[in-house]
Amino acid sequence: MLSKPTGFRYIKSLLILIALLITLFYISLTNGTFDLTVSDVLHAFLRINPVPTHDFVLFDLRLPRIVVASLVGLGLGIAGAVIQGVTKNGLADPGILGINAGAGAAIVLFLFFFHEQIGSFSVLMQPLFGLIGGLGAAVIIYLLAWKNGRIDTQRLILTGIAISSGFGALAMYLSLKMKSTDFEMATLWSMGSVYNANWQSIFAMLPWFILLIPIYRKSYLLDLFQLEESSLKSLGVSLEKEKAILLLSSIGLVSACVSVSGGIGFIGLMAPHIAKQLVGLRHRYIIPICGLIGMTLVVGSDFIAKNLFPAEISVGIVISIIGVPYFLYLLLTARS
Amino acid sequence: MSILRVENAEARYEGNVIFENLCLDVIKGKITTIIGPNGCGKSTLLKTMGRILKPKFGKVYLQDQDINTLPTQEIAKRLTLLPQNPIAPGELGVEELISYGRYPHRKNISNLTTEDKEKIEWALEITHTLPYRDRPLGSLSGGQRQKVWLAMALAQDTTVLLLDEPTTYLDLAHQLDVLQIVENLNHHHQCTVVMVLHDINHAARFSHEIVGMRDGKIMATGSPHELITADTLKQIFHIDARIMVDPSNGSPVCFGYESALAEEEFVLHKEKENVAT
Repeated sequence: MLSKPTGFRYIKSLLILIALLITLFYISLTNGTFDLTVSDVLHAFLRINPVPTHDFVLFDLRLPRIVVASLVGLGLGIAGAVIQGVTKNGLADPGILGINAGAGAAIVLFLFFFHEQIGSFSVLMQPLFGLIGGLGAAVIIYLLAWKNGRIDTQRLILTGIAISSGFGALAMYLSLKMKSTDFEMATLWSMGSVYNANWQSIFAMLPWFILLIPIYRKSYLLDLFQLEESSLKSLGVSLEKEKAILLLSSIGLVSACVSVSGGIGFIGLMAPHIAKQLVGLRHRYIIPICGLIGMTLVVGSDFIAKNLFPAEISVGIVISIIGVPYFLYLLLTARS
Repeated sequence: MSILRVENAEARYEGNVIFENLCLDVIKGKITTIIGPNGCGKSTLLKTMGRILKPKFGKVYLQDQDINTLPTQEIAKRLTLLPQNPIAPGELGVEELISYGRYPHRKNISNLTTEDKEKIEWALEITHTLPYRDRPLGSLSGGQRQKVWLAMALAQDTTVLLLDEPTTYLDLAHQLDVLQIVENLNHHHQCTVVMVLHDINHAARFSHEIVGMRDGKIMATGSPHELITADTLKQIFHIDARIMVDPSNGSPVCFGYESALAEEEFVLHKEKENVAT
């Protein structure tokens, strides 16, 4: 029962977003403090008379950064759609699950205690700590939201907010006692940035994207989640099992993303709304579109953060500049 | 023959006992209606039968199988419950919503099978919702929407249909329309129906069996003629009802009633006075 108009809109949106993304990749690869031409880029990729400086700029600086930005956008966008679907709350965001705050606190903790001892090795360890912190916070929230053998989604959101501010306070307390260089690193991370992207961090987060498979397979179920719980039970949905699969998959995905990029907000909030406006209510369409919108937003914002300001700023700040007005717009339209 | 059986069930809501030691047999192929005053536990009983609520003690059997040991998707192929005032996003299409009813029969997210499509078509037809199959849910009237929800439940293709106050908030014509669809399903498609109704005249006209509840207890069960009597209605609702037989279809009709509460209180008051003196 693939209705013609939505199917057509899906394909159209998909193609436009892919074209947009390719354009952004191209602009991000060629522009910067060191401008490259198309042929420079092509030569470097096809290994025709490679120039070492070009190789360095492309493969060690720009490409990993674009890949990290894309993966983070993909993960956060899709996790946002799932979390909004499961909690039936259009204003929910992956940050609500406490992952950002948990990962933040863990990274501050790490910088505070271990940074000195491990030295250069710490760049590799930082995402790992972020991951542990993010998963830890999410699990605590999940357990606290568990009542009478079920996850109450309202409770999930409220505990998420409470635990988030708890971890935020912890991170703040520790970072005030830090050395100024560590403090700067912690602040930069907490604002969300992909400037120190490298191939190691990409390989560290990539395995978590396997979780996209269960999410896409369950996308039909997210349509049903638009109904109330008694209707879902009557339809034979194993509610708690499915909720757990969907939420835990999103938690894994988001943890992997924020452990590398820091607390980037609003992507998981904005992408699902834009996707729904483009392709309607079917999650089989929403999920891929959401991923592409997330990628476009993060890659585009990172380009702006890197090039359009006198000094480079965090991508998280650019996204917030776009995100805050959008959030207010959503609030206002939701009320009317 | 019983198709759905409740055995010594106890249900609680936030620690309060709604009913305990409750037993009920639902006869296969019949329409059973539960009536009773607000808060008597009739909706809770229906939800317990539809495994929406798990009984604290006791068991529910569907075709002699314990409902707690059957996989929920398996139950959904045999039994469906339409909740009171179900909700869905207004932008959702009618046909889309009805297709959700096919969930228990689907194996993966791939497109609907021919059987799925046939069942959806059948559900649209039988509920007279064909004219607005392409419209969004939000553009329909309450009565039209209720029929769409009924169609979703029917697309599930079950032999047992549980309906929680299917006629609430509907105008007279739509109430009749919904109940006639239910009657037709029972008559021509051998559906066993259990529903909760507030209107005792509808209960009398459309049911084979009526179950009267009060304060978590089943006060009486029987055919409309056995149950819709001044005595039982006084027991169940605390009313003095005036009953006659509808000459056009032979079912009992309550054409007027007075509250028996005032009288009761008066008696109680008198008793107290007697004790005092």
